[in-house]
Amino acid sequence: MQRATAPYFLILPSFLLAAAIILWPLKEIISLSLHDVNRFGMLREFVGLEHFRVLFADPDFIAATWRTLVWTVCVVLGTLIVSVPIALILNEDFYGRGFARILIMLPWAISLSMTAVVWRWALNGESGMLNSALRDLGIIGSNIQWLADATTAFPMQILIGILVSVPFTVTIFLGGLSSVPDDLYEAASTEGAGRWDQFRLITLPLLRPFINIAFVLNTIYVFNSFPIIWVTTQGGPSNSTHILVTYLYELGFRLGRLGEAAAVSLIMFVILLVFTIIYVRLAMREEKA
Amino acid sequence: MMNSKLKRSLLFWLFLSPIVVVILFPYAVMTITAMKSATEVLNPTWWPDEIHWQNFPEMWQTSGIGSALANSLYVSILSTALTIIVSIPAAYAISRYQFAGRNAYRQFLLISQMLSPIVLVIGLFRLATSAGMIDNLNVLIIIYTGFNIAFCVWMLQSYFSTIPRDLEEASWMEGASRWRTLRSVFLPLAVPAMVVTAIFTFINAWNEFVIALTMLRREENYTLPIRVLSLVAGRYTVDWHYVMAAAFVASVPVAILFAWLQRYLVRGLSIGAVK
Repeated sequence: MQRATAPYFLILPSFLLAAAIILWPLKEIISLSLHDVNRFGMLREFVGLEHFRVLFADPDFIAATWRTLVWTVCVVLGTLIVSVPIALILNEDFYGRGFARILIMLPWAISLSMTAVVWRWALNGESGMLNSALRDLGIIGSNIQWLADATTAFPMQILIGILVSVPFTVTIFLGGLSSVPDDLYEAASTEGAGRWDQFRLITLPLLRPFINIAFVLNTIYVFNSFPIIWVTTQGGPSNSTHILVTYLYELGFRLGRLGEAAAVSLIMFVILLVFTIIYVRLAMREEKA
Repeated sequence: MMNSKLKRSLLFWLFLSPIVVVILFPYAVMTITAMKSATEVLNPTWWPDEIHWQNFPEMWQTSGIGSALANSLYVSILSTALTIIVSIPAAYAISRYQFAGRNAYRQFLLISQMLSPIVLVIGLFRLATSAGMIDNLNVLIIIYTGFNIAFCVWMLQSYFSTIPRDLEEASWMEGASRWRTLRSVFLPLAVPAMVVTAIFTFINAWNEFVIALTMLRREENYTLPIRVLSLVAGRYTVDWHYVMAAAFVASVPVAILFAWLQRYLVRGLSIGAVK
Protein backbone atom coordinates (compact mmCIF):
# COMPACT_ATOMS: atom_id res chain seq x y z
CA MET A 1 0.00 0.00 0.00
CA GLN A 2 2.86 2.33 0.89
CA ARG A 3 4.38 1.65 -2.53
CA ALA A 4 1.31 2.89 -4.34
CA THR A 5 1.11 6.27 -2.64
CA ALA A 6 4.85 7.03 -2.49
CA PRO A 7 5.24 8.47 -6.03
CA TYR A 8 2.33 10.84 -5.47
CA PHE A 9 3.93 12.22 -2.33
CA LEU A 10 7.16 12.65 -4.26
CA ILE A 11 5.64 14.65 -7.09
CA LEU A 12 3.20 16.62 -4.93
CA PRO A 13 5.40 19.60 -3.90
CA SER A 14 6.64 20.27 -7.41
CA PHE A 15 3.14 19.86 -8.82
CA LEU A 16 1.56 22.26 -6.32
CA LEU A 17 4.18 24.93 -6.88
CA ALA A 18 4.14 24.72 -10.69
CA ALA A 19 0.34 24.60 -10.74
CA ALA A 20 0.02 27.63 -8.47
CA ILE A 21 2.36 29.66 -10.67
CA ILE A 22 0.62 28.64 -13.88
CA LEU A 23 -3.04 27.80 -13.22
CA TRP A 24 -3.89 30.66 -10.84
CA PRO A 25 -2.58 33.39 -13.17
CA LEU A 26 -4.35 31.67 -16.06
CA LYS A 27 -7.64 31.83 -14.17
CA GLU A 28 -7.03 35.54 -13.47
CA ILE A 29 -6.30 36.24 -17.12
CA ILE A 30 -9.48 34.51 -18.24
CA SER A 31 -11.62 36.51 -15.84
CA LEU A 32 -9.85 39.79 -16.74
CA SER A 33 -10.41 39.18 -20.43
CA LEU A 34 -14.17 38.76 -19.93
CA HIS A 35 -14.80 41.71 -17.58
CA ASP A 36 -14.61 45.44 -17.79
CA VAL A 37 -11.51 46.44 -15.80
CA ASN A 38 -10.31 49.85 -14.72
CA ARG A 39 -6.65 50.72 -15.01
CA PHE A 40 -5.96 49.75 -11.40
CA GLY A 41 -7.17 46.23 -12.09
CA MET A 42 -10.59 46.46 -10.41
CA LEU A 43 -13.08 44.10 -12.04
CA ARG A 44 -16.39 45.67 -13.06
CA GLU A 45 -19.27 44.15 -15.03
CA PHE A 46 -19.07 41.10 -17.27
CA VAL A 47 -18.59 42.14 -20.91
CA GLY A 48 -18.25 38.81 -22.67
CA LEU A 49 -16.04 39.00 -25.75
CA GLU A 50 -15.99 42.81 -25.92
CA HIS A 51 -12.19 43.02 -25.34
CA PHE A 52 -11.58 40.58 -28.18
CA ARG A 53 -13.85 42.65 -30.45
CA VAL A 54 -11.89 45.82 -29.59
CA LEU A 55 -8.61 44.03 -30.27
CA PHE A 56 -9.62 42.78 -33.68
CA ALA A 57 -10.65 46.33 -34.60
CA ASP A 58 -7.28 47.69 -33.40
CA PRO A 59 -4.93 48.19 -36.38
CA ASP A 60 -1.87 48.05 -34.08
CA PHE A 61 -2.91 44.62 -32.83
CA ILE A 62 -3.50 43.32 -36.35
CA ALA A 63 -0.13 44.71 -37.48
CA ALA A 64 1.60 43.18 -34.43
CA THR A 65 0.01 39.80 -35.22
CA TRP A 66 1.31 39.85 -38.80
CA ARG A 67 4.70 41.05 -37.60
CA THR A 68 4.81 38.18 -35.10
CA LEU A 69 4.26 35.78 -37.99
CA VAL A 70 7.08 37.36 -40.04
CA TRP A 71 9.34 37.47 -36.96
CA THR A 72 8.74 33.84 -36.03
CA VAL A 73 9.05 32.46 -39.59
CA CYS A 74 12.21 34.47 -40.40
CA VAL A 75 14.01 33.76 -37.13
CA VAL A 76 13.12 30.06 -37.02
CA LEU A 77 13.92 29.30 -40.66
CA GLY A 78 17.05 31.47 -40.57
CA THR A 79 18.22 29.65 -37.46
CA LEU A 80 17.67 26.20 -38.96
CA ILE A 81 19.45 27.12 -42.20
CA VAL A 82 22.48 28.50 -40.33
CA SER A 83 22.57 25.74 -37.72
CA VAL A 84 22.66 22.64 -39.93
CA PRO A 85 26.07 23.36 -41.52
CA ILE A 86 27.50 24.57 -38.18
CA ALA A 87 26.43 21.37 -36.46
CA LEU A 88 27.85 19.25 -39.31
CA ILE A 89 31.21 21.03 -38.98
CA LEU A 90 31.28 20.86 -35.18
CA ASN A 91 30.55 17.15 -35.37
CA GLU A 92 33.78 16.55 -37.35
CA ASP A 93 37.16 16.15 -35.75
CA PHE A 94 39.41 19.19 -36.32
CA TYR A 95 41.90 21.38 -34.48
CA GLY A 96 40.26 23.84 -32.12
CA ARG A 97 36.86 22.19 -32.19
CA GLY A 98 36.33 22.61 -28.45
CA PHE A 99 37.10 26.31 -28.76
CA ALA A 100 34.82 26.69 -31.78
CA ARG A 101 31.99 25.08 -29.82
CA ILE A 102 32.44 27.52 -26.95
CA LEU A 103 32.39 30.50 -29.33
CA ILE A 104 29.22 29.31 -31.06
CA MET A 105 27.53 28.64 -27.69
CA LEU A 106 28.43 32.07 -26.27
CA PRO A 107 25.12 33.89 -26.97
CA TRP A 108 23.31 31.20 -24.98
CA ALA A 109 25.42 31.96 -21.93
CA ILE A 110 24.69 35.67 -21.88
CA SER A 111 21.23 36.88 -20.96
CA LEU A 112 19.07 38.10 -23.83
CA SER A 113 18.50 41.41 -22.12
CA MET A 114 22.26 42.07 -21.84
CA THR A 115 22.85 41.07 -25.46
CA ALA A 116 20.02 43.38 -26.47
CA VAL A 117 21.43 46.30 -24.44
CA VAL A 118 24.79 45.83 -26.15
CA TRP A 119 23.15 45.74 -29.59
CA ARG A 120 21.18 48.88 -28.77
CA TRP A 121 24.53 50.61 -28.29
CA ALA A 122 26.22 48.93 -31.27
CA LEU A 123 23.34 50.09 -33.51
CA ASN A 124 23.40 53.66 -32.17
CA GLY A 125 23.08 56.05 -35.10
CA GLU A 126 25.68 58.65 -34.04
CA SER A 127 28.57 56.74 -32.53
CA GLY A 128 27.48 53.09 -32.66
CA MET A 129 30.26 50.71 -33.52
CA LEU A 130 28.38 48.91 -36.29
CA ASN A 131 28.36 52.15 -38.27
CA SER A 132 32.07 52.68 -37.50
CA ALA A 133 32.94 49.15 -38.60
CA LEU A 134 30.92 49.33 -41.81
CA ARG A 135 32.37 52.78 -42.64
CA ASP A 136 35.91 51.55 -42.03
CA LEU A 137 35.25 48.64 -44.37
CA GLY A 138 33.89 51.07 -46.96
CA ILE A 139 30.47 49.37 -47.07
CA ILE A 140 28.49 52.47 -46.15
CA GLY A 141 29.31 56.14 -46.76
CA SER A 142 27.32 57.81 -44.00
CA ASN A 143 25.82 56.73 -40.67
CA ILE A 144 22.63 54.70 -40.70
CA GLN A 145 20.04 55.39 -37.96
CA TRP A 146 19.40 51.67 -37.49
CA LEU A 147 16.80 51.83 -34.73
CA ALA A 148 15.01 55.00 -35.83
CA ASP A 149 13.01 53.28 -38.54
CA ALA A 150 11.26 49.91 -38.68
CA THR A 151 12.67 49.09 -42.12
CA THR A 152 16.18 48.82 -40.63
CA ALA A 153 15.30 48.10 -36.98
CA PHE A 154 13.12 45.05 -37.57
CA PRO A 155 15.56 43.17 -39.86
CA MET A 156 18.34 43.82 -37.31
CA GLN A 157 16.09 42.43 -34.56
CA ILE A 158 15.50 39.34 -36.69
CA LEU A 159 19.26 38.97 -37.15
CA ILE A 160 19.80 39.20 -33.37
CA GLY A 161 17.01 36.68 -32.89
CA ILE A 162 18.75 34.24 -35.23
CA LEU A 163 22.13 34.70 -33.53
CA VAL A 164 20.78 33.93 -30.06
CA SER A 165 18.76 30.90 -31.27
CA VAL A 166 21.67 29.20 -33.06
CA PRO A 167 23.40 27.73 -29.96
CA PHE A 168 20.37 25.83 -28.70
CA THR A 169 19.57 24.55 -32.19
CA VAL A 170 23.15 23.43 -32.86
CA THR A 171 23.09 21.62 -29.50
CA ILE A 172 20.01 19.62 -30.51
CA PHE A 173 21.55 18.77 -33.89
CA LEU A 174 24.82 17.66 -32.30
CA GLY A 175 22.82 15.33 -30.08
CA GLY A 176 21.18 13.94 -33.21
CA LEU A 177 24.41 13.59 -35.17
CA SER A 178 26.12 11.70 -32.36
CA SER A 179 23.45 9.00 -32.73
CA VAL A 180 24.29 8.41 -36.42
CA PRO A 181 26.40 5.25 -36.59
CA ASP A 182 29.76 5.68 -38.38
CA ASP A 183 29.57 2.37 -40.24
CA LEU A 184 26.67 3.72 -42.30
CA TYR A 185 29.04 6.27 -43.85
CA GLU A 186 31.75 3.67 -44.36
CA ALA A 187 29.27 1.40 -46.13
CA ALA A 188 28.09 4.31 -48.26
CA SER A 189 31.59 5.37 -49.29
CA THR A 190 32.55 1.81 -50.25
CA GLU A 191 29.41 1.86 -52.41
CA GLY A 192 30.87 4.94 -54.06
CA ALA A 193 28.57 7.59 -52.60
CA GLY A 194 30.11 11.08 -52.61
CA ARG A 195 30.01 13.60 -49.76
CA TRP A 196 26.82 15.26 -51.00
CA ASP A 197 25.04 11.94 -51.51
CA GLN A 198 26.05 10.85 -48.02
CA PHE A 199 24.55 14.07 -46.63
CA ARG A 200 21.38 13.82 -48.69
CA LEU A 201 20.76 10.09 -48.28
CA ILE A 202 22.05 9.37 -44.76
CA THR A 203 22.58 12.46 -42.62
CA LEU A 204 19.50 14.44 -43.56
CA PRO A 205 16.94 11.62 -43.10
CA LEU A 206 18.49 10.64 -39.75
CA LEU A 207 18.58 14.27 -38.67
CA ARG A 208 14.97 14.93 -39.72
CA PRO A 209 13.35 14.12 -36.33
CA PHE A 210 15.81 16.49 -34.62
CA ILE A 211 15.10 19.19 -37.20
CA ASN A 212 11.39 18.76 -36.47
CA ILE A 213 11.91 19.09 -32.73
CA ALA A 214 14.21 22.10 -33.14
CA PHE A 215 11.64 23.65 -35.45
CA VAL A 216 8.77 23.33 -32.99
CA LEU A 217 10.76 24.32 -29.89
CA ASN A 218 12.30 27.33 -31.64
CA THR A 219 8.88 28.38 -32.88
CA ILE A 220 7.64 28.38 -29.30
CA TYR A 221 10.68 30.24 -27.91
CA VAL A 222 10.81 32.85 -30.67
CA PHE A 223 7.07 33.44 -30.54
CA ASN A 224 7.49 34.15 -26.79
CA SER A 225 10.65 36.20 -27.08
CA PHE A 226 10.37 39.56 -25.37
CA PRO A 227 13.76 41.14 -24.43
CA ILE A 228 15.27 41.68 -27.90
CA ILE A 229 12.50 43.90 -29.21
CA TRP A 230 11.61 45.49 -25.88
CA VAL A 231 15.17 46.51 -25.05
CA THR A 232 16.18 47.72 -28.51
CA THR A 233 13.06 49.68 -29.57
CA GLN A 234 10.23 49.02 -27.03
CA GLY A 235 8.04 48.31 -30.04
CA GLY A 236 8.63 51.79 -31.42
CA PRO A 237 9.04 54.04 -33.30
CA SER A 238 5.25 54.61 -33.25
CA ASN A 239 4.37 50.93 -32.65
CA SER A 240 6.12 49.86 -35.85
CA THR A 241 8.19 47.00 -34.37
CA HIS A 242 5.69 45.49 -31.89
CA ILE A 243 5.16 41.75 -31.85
CA LEU A 244 2.39 40.20 -29.74
CA VAL A 245 4.42 39.84 -26.53
CA THR A 246 5.67 43.43 -26.55
CA TYR A 247 2.23 44.76 -27.52
CA LEU A 248 0.73 42.74 -24.67
CA TYR A 249 3.20 44.33 -22.25
CA GLU A 250 2.55 47.81 -23.62
CA LEU A 251 -1.23 47.36 -23.33
CA GLY A 252 -1.05 45.97 -19.82
CA PHE A 253 1.66 47.99 -18.12
CA ARG A 254 1.98 51.19 -20.12
CA LEU A 255 -1.51 51.95 -21.38
CA GLY A 256 -3.42 50.31 -18.52
CA ARG A 257 -5.74 48.46 -20.92
CA LEU A 258 -5.67 45.32 -18.78
CA GLY A 259 -8.71 43.63 -20.27
CA GLU A 260 -7.31 43.78 -23.78
CA ALA A 261 -3.86 42.72 -22.57
CA ALA A 262 -5.44 39.68 -20.93
CA ALA A 263 -7.24 38.92 -24.18
CA VAL A 264 -3.90 39.00 -26.06
CA SER A 265 -2.47 36.64 -23.42
CA LEU A 266 -5.31 34.20 -23.96
CA ILE A 267 -4.95 34.30 -27.74
CA MET A 268 -1.22 33.59 -27.34
CA PHE A 269 -1.96 30.83 -24.86
CA VAL A 270 -4.22 29.06 -27.35
CA ILE A 271 -1.63 29.37 -30.15
CA LEU A 272 1.07 27.99 -27.82
CA LEU A 273 -1.15 25.11 -26.81
CA VAL A 274 -1.49 24.15 -30.49
CA PHE A 275 2.31 24.29 -30.91
CA THR A 276 2.72 22.18 -27.78
CA ILE A 277 0.32 19.52 -29.02
CA ILE A 278 2.30 19.34 -32.28
CA TYR A 279 5.50 18.98 -30.24
CA VAL A 280 4.06 16.23 -28.03
CA ARG A 281 2.87 14.36 -31.13
CA LEU A 282 6.34 14.61 -32.70
CA ALA A 283 8.12 13.60 -29.49
CA MET A 284 5.77 10.64 -28.99
CA ARG A 285 6.38 9.47 -32.54
CA GLU A 286 10.12 9.62 -31.80
CA GLU A 287 9.66 7.57 -28.66
CA LYS A 288 7.82 4.86 -30.56
CA ALA A 289 10.26 4.80 -33.46
CA MET B 1 47.36 11.97 -42.19
CA MET B 2 48.44 14.82 -39.93
CA ASN B 3 48.53 17.09 -42.90
CA SER B 4 45.02 16.30 -44.07
CA LYS B 5 43.63 17.04 -40.61
CA LEU B 6 45.43 20.38 -40.62
CA LYS B 7 44.01 21.20 -44.04
CA ARG B 8 40.54 20.21 -42.93
CA SER B 9 40.84 22.33 -39.79
CA LEU B 10 41.78 25.40 -41.80
CA LEU B 11 38.88 24.82 -44.18
CA PHE B 12 36.38 24.39 -41.33
CA TRP B 13 37.59 27.51 -39.53
CA LEU B 14 37.27 29.41 -42.79
CA PHE B 15 33.65 28.26 -43.09
CA LEU B 16 32.90 29.12 -39.48
CA SER B 17 34.62 32.50 -39.51
CA PRO B 18 31.68 34.62 -40.82
CA ILE B 19 29.29 33.37 -38.16
CA VAL B 20 31.96 33.57 -35.46
CA VAL B 21 32.62 37.21 -36.38
CA VAL B 22 28.92 38.08 -36.22
CA ILE B 23 28.47 36.22 -32.92
CA LEU B 24 31.48 37.86 -31.32
CA PHE B 25 30.69 41.33 -32.66
CA PRO B 26 28.35 42.53 -29.87
CA TYR B 27 30.57 41.11 -27.12
CA ALA B 28 33.62 42.76 -28.66
CA VAL B 29 31.68 46.03 -28.75
CA MET B 30 30.77 45.53 -25.08
CA THR B 31 34.34 44.82 -23.99
CA ILE B 32 35.95 47.59 -26.02
CA THR B 33 33.41 50.24 -25.01
CA ALA B 34 33.78 49.25 -21.36
CA MET B 35 37.44 50.21 -21.61
CA LYS B 36 37.10 53.54 -23.43
CA SER B 37 37.14 56.95 -21.79
CA ALA B 38 33.98 59.07 -21.84
CA THR B 39 35.19 61.29 -24.67
CA GLU B 40 36.44 58.43 -26.79
CA VAL B 41 33.16 56.56 -26.58
CA LEU B 42 31.56 59.19 -28.79
CA ASN B 43 34.38 59.04 -31.34
CA PRO B 44 33.59 56.79 -34.26
CA THR B 45 36.77 54.73 -33.85
CA TRP B 46 37.07 51.07 -32.94
CA TRP B 47 40.09 50.88 -30.71
CA PRO B 48 40.68 53.08 -27.66
CA ASP B 49 43.92 55.08 -27.49
CA GLU B 50 44.38 54.06 -23.89
CA ILE B 51 42.68 51.42 -21.83
CA HIS B 52 40.49 53.11 -19.27
CA TRP B 53 40.27 50.62 -16.40
CA GLN B 54 38.84 53.34 -14.11
CA ASN B 55 35.44 52.78 -15.78
CA PHE B 56 34.89 49.74 -13.61
CA PRO B 57 35.39 51.33 -10.16
CA GLU B 58 33.61 54.51 -11.32
CA MET B 59 30.67 52.52 -12.66
CA TRP B 60 30.56 50.54 -9.40
CA GLN B 61 30.27 53.79 -7.41
CA THR B 62 27.66 55.52 -9.51
CA SER B 63 25.42 52.80 -10.91
CA GLY B 64 24.31 50.93 -7.80
CA ILE B 65 25.40 47.70 -9.46
CA GLY B 66 26.68 46.31 -6.13
CA SER B 67 23.22 46.07 -4.59
CA ALA B 68 21.84 44.70 -7.87
CA LEU B 69 24.51 42.01 -7.77
CA ALA B 70 23.53 41.12 -4.21
CA ASN B 71 19.82 40.99 -5.19
CA SER B 72 20.54 38.77 -8.19
CA LEU B 73 22.62 36.41 -6.05
CA TYR B 74 19.92 36.28 -3.35
CA VAL B 75 17.12 35.52 -5.82
CA SER B 76 19.10 33.07 -7.96
CA ILE B 77 20.58 31.05 -5.09
CA LEU B 78 17.34 30.69 -3.15
CA SER B 79 15.20 29.89 -6.17
CA THR B 80 17.76 27.32 -7.36
CA ALA B 81 17.78 25.67 -3.93
CA LEU B 82 13.99 25.58 -3.78
CA THR B 83 13.69 24.26 -7.35
CA ILE B 84 16.18 21.47 -6.74
CA ILE B 85 14.57 20.47 -3.43
CA VAL B 86 11.13 19.97 -4.99
CA SER B 87 12.43 18.55 -8.29
CA ILE B 88 14.63 15.72 -7.00
CA PRO B 89 11.77 13.69 -5.50
CA ALA B 90 9.60 14.28 -8.58
CA ALA B 91 12.39 13.21 -10.96
CA TYR B 92 13.07 10.17 -8.78
CA ALA B 93 9.39 9.18 -8.86
CA ILE B 94 9.23 9.53 -12.66
CA SER B 95 12.39 7.53 -13.29
CA ARG B 96 11.85 4.76 -10.70
CA TYR B 97 8.10 4.21 -10.27
CA GLN B 98 5.34 3.23 -12.66
CA PHE B 99 2.16 4.91 -11.47
CA ALA B 100 -1.17 6.06 -12.85
CA GLY B 101 -0.84 9.68 -13.91
CA ARG B 102 2.89 9.46 -14.60
CA ASN B 103 2.41 10.38 -18.24
CA ALA B 104 -0.16 13.03 -17.40
CA TYR B 105 2.35 14.61 -15.02
CA ARG B 106 5.09 14.56 -17.65
CA GLN B 107 2.76 16.27 -20.09
CA PHE B 108 1.79 18.86 -17.52
CA LEU B 109 5.51 19.63 -17.10
CA LEU B 110 5.96 19.84 -20.84
CA ILE B 111 3.12 22.35 -21.18
CA SER B 112 4.45 24.44 -18.29
CA GLN B 113 7.81 24.46 -20.08
CA MET B 114 6.19 25.83 -23.23
CA LEU B 115 4.58 28.77 -21.47
CA SER B 116 6.96 31.58 -21.02
CA PRO B 117 6.30 33.90 -18.08
CA ILE B 118 5.46 36.73 -20.48
CA VAL B 119 2.22 35.07 -21.56
CA LEU B 120 1.09 34.88 -17.94
CA VAL B 121 2.68 38.11 -16.75
CA ILE B 122 -0.64 39.92 -16.23
CA GLY B 123 -1.98 37.11 -14.07
CA LEU B 124 1.32 36.81 -12.19
CA PHE B 125 1.22 40.52 -11.47
CA ARG B 126 -2.27 40.13 -9.98
CA LEU B 127 -1.09 37.12 -7.99
CA ALA B 128 1.72 39.20 -6.53
CA THR B 129 -0.58 42.16 -5.88
CA SER B 130 -3.14 40.09 -4.02
CA ALA B 131 -0.37 38.50 -1.95
CA GLY B 132 0.96 42.00 -1.16
CA MET B 133 4.32 41.02 -2.64
CA ILE B 134 4.87 43.63 -5.36
CA ASP B 135 8.40 45.01 -5.13
CA ASN B 136 9.43 42.07 -2.97
CA LEU B 137 12.35 39.91 -4.11
CA ASN B 138 10.77 36.80 -2.59
CA VAL B 139 7.99 36.82 -5.16
CA LEU B 140 10.67 36.40 -7.86
CA ILE B 141 12.02 33.36 -6.02
CA ILE B 142 8.62 31.66 -6.04
CA ILE B 143 7.83 32.50 -9.67
CA TYR B 144 11.26 31.45 -10.97
CA THR B 145 10.93 28.20 -9.06
CA GLY B 146 7.52 27.53 -10.58
CA PHE B 147 8.81 28.07 -14.10
CA ASN B 148 12.10 26.18 -13.62
CA ILE B 149 10.57 23.01 -12.18
CA ALA B 150 9.77 21.55 -15.59
CA PHE B 151 13.30 21.99 -16.96
CA CYS B 152 14.83 20.72 -13.74
CA VAL B 153 12.66 17.61 -13.39
CA TRP B 154 13.22 16.87 -17.06
CA MET B 155 17.03 17.12 -16.84
CA LEU B 156 17.27 15.22 -13.55
CA GLN B 157 14.98 12.46 -14.72
CA SER B 158 16.99 11.95 -17.91
CA TYR B 159 20.17 11.61 -15.85
CA PHE B 160 18.52 9.42 -13.19
CA SER B 161 17.38 7.02 -15.91
CA THR B 162 21.03 6.44 -16.85
CA ILE B 163 21.91 5.30 -13.31
CA PRO B 164 21.64 1.49 -13.47
CA ARG B 165 18.87 -0.01 -11.34
CA ASP B 166 20.99 -3.12 -10.66
CA LEU B 167 22.95 -1.27 -8.01
CA GLU B 168 19.81 -0.38 -6.09
CA GLU B 169 18.33 -3.85 -6.54
CA ALA B 170 21.54 -5.40 -5.23
CA SER B 171 21.31 -3.20 -2.19
CA TRP B 172 17.67 -4.24 -1.55
CA MET B 173 18.76 -7.90 -1.83
CA GLU B 174 21.24 -7.27 0.94
CA GLY B 175 18.27 -6.22 3.05
CA ALA B 176 18.69 -2.46 2.95
CA SER B 177 15.48 -0.43 3.12
CA ARG B 178 14.37 1.68 0.18
CA TRP B 179 15.26 4.87 2.07
CA ARG B 180 18.70 3.60 3.04
CA THR B 181 19.39 2.50 -0.53
CA LEU B 182 18.33 5.91 -1.73
CA ARG B 183 20.68 7.64 0.68
CA SER B 184 23.75 5.48 0.36
CA VAL B 185 23.55 4.19 -3.24
CA PHE B 186 21.36 6.37 -5.43
CA LEU B 187 21.93 9.91 -4.21
CA PRO B 188 25.75 9.77 -4.23
CA LEU B 189 25.63 8.62 -7.87
CA ALA B 190 23.17 11.38 -8.70
CA VAL B 191 25.24 14.24 -7.24
CA PRO B 192 26.93 15.29 -10.51
CA ALA B 193 23.55 15.47 -12.29
CA MET B 194 22.14 17.57 -9.48
CA VAL B 195 25.07 19.97 -9.52
CA VAL B 196 24.86 20.49 -13.27
CA THR B 197 21.09 20.95 -13.22
CA ALA B 198 21.37 23.37 -10.30
CA ILE B 199 23.89 25.50 -12.16
CA PHE B 200 21.68 25.78 -15.23
CA THR B 201 18.71 26.66 -13.05
CA PHE B 202 20.86 29.32 -11.41
CA ILE B 203 21.82 30.78 -14.80
CA ASN B 204 18.15 30.87 -15.87
CA ALA B 205 17.21 32.78 -12.75
CA TRP B 206 20.24 35.07 -13.05
CA ASN B 207 19.31 36.06 -16.61
CA GLU B 208 15.53 36.40 -16.18
CA PHE B 209 14.17 39.72 -17.38
CA VAL B 210 10.45 40.24 -17.82
CA ILE B 211 9.18 39.13 -14.41
CA ALA B 212 11.79 41.21 -12.61
CA LEU B 213 10.93 44.18 -14.86
CA THR B 214 7.27 43.83 -13.90
CA MET B 215 7.50 43.11 -10.19
CA LEU B 216 10.28 45.39 -8.99
CA ARG B 217 9.61 49.07 -8.37
CA ARG B 218 12.28 50.65 -6.15
CA GLU B 219 15.81 50.90 -7.48
CA GLU B 220 17.35 49.23 -4.44
CA ASN B 221 15.40 46.06 -5.28
CA TYR B 222 16.51 45.83 -8.91
CA THR B 223 18.24 42.68 -10.14
CA LEU B 224 21.18 43.00 -12.54
CA PRO B 225 19.37 42.96 -15.90
CA ILE B 226 16.85 45.56 -14.70
CA ARG B 227 19.59 47.71 -13.18
CA VAL B 228 21.56 47.71 -16.42
CA LEU B 229 18.45 48.50 -18.49
CA SER B 230 17.60 51.36 -16.12
CA LEU B 231 20.96 52.93 -16.99
CA VAL B 232 19.77 53.10 -20.62
CA ALA B 233 15.99 53.41 -20.81
CA GLY B 234 14.29 56.78 -20.51
CA ARG B 235 17.49 58.76 -20.00
CA TYR B 236 18.40 61.81 -21.99
CA THR B 237 22.15 61.12 -21.94
CA VAL B 238 23.47 57.61 -21.54
CA ASP B 239 26.99 56.91 -20.23
CA TRP B 240 27.54 54.00 -22.58
CA HIS B 241 31.01 53.20 -21.24
CA TYR B 242 29.50 52.64 -17.78
CA VAL B 243 26.56 50.70 -19.20
CA MET B 244 28.90 48.37 -21.09
CA ALA B 245 31.12 47.98 -18.02
CA ALA B 246 28.00 47.02 -16.03
CA ALA B 247 26.84 44.60 -18.74
CA PHE B 248 30.34 43.10 -18.71
CA VAL B 249 30.21 42.53 -14.95
CA ALA B 250 26.69 41.09 -15.22
CA SER B 251 27.47 38.61 -17.98
CA VAL B 252 31.10 37.51 -17.98
CA PRO B 253 31.14 35.37 -14.77
CA VAL B 254 28.03 33.50 -15.89
CA ALA B 255 29.38 33.12 -19.43
CA ILE B 256 32.54 31.47 -18.10
CA LEU B 257 30.50 29.12 -15.92
CA PHE B 258 28.36 28.25 -18.90
CA ALA B 259 31.27 27.70 -21.30
CA TRP B 260 32.77 25.31 -18.79
CA LEU B 261 29.56 23.33 -18.39
CA GLN B 262 27.96 23.43 -21.85
CA ARG B 263 28.96 19.88 -22.77
CA TYR B 264 26.87 18.55 -19.87
CA LEU B 265 23.90 20.44 -21.22
CA VAL B 266 24.47 18.95 -24.66
CA ARG B 267 24.47 15.49 -23.09
CA GLY B 268 21.49 16.07 -20.79
CA LEU B 269 19.37 17.58 -23.54
CA SER B 270 20.17 14.90 -26.06
CA ILE B 271 19.33 12.16 -23.58
CA GLY B 272 16.16 14.01 -22.61
CA ALA B 273 15.13 14.86 -26.13
CA VAL B 274 15.01 11.34 -27.46
CA LYS B 275 14.18 9.22 -24.42
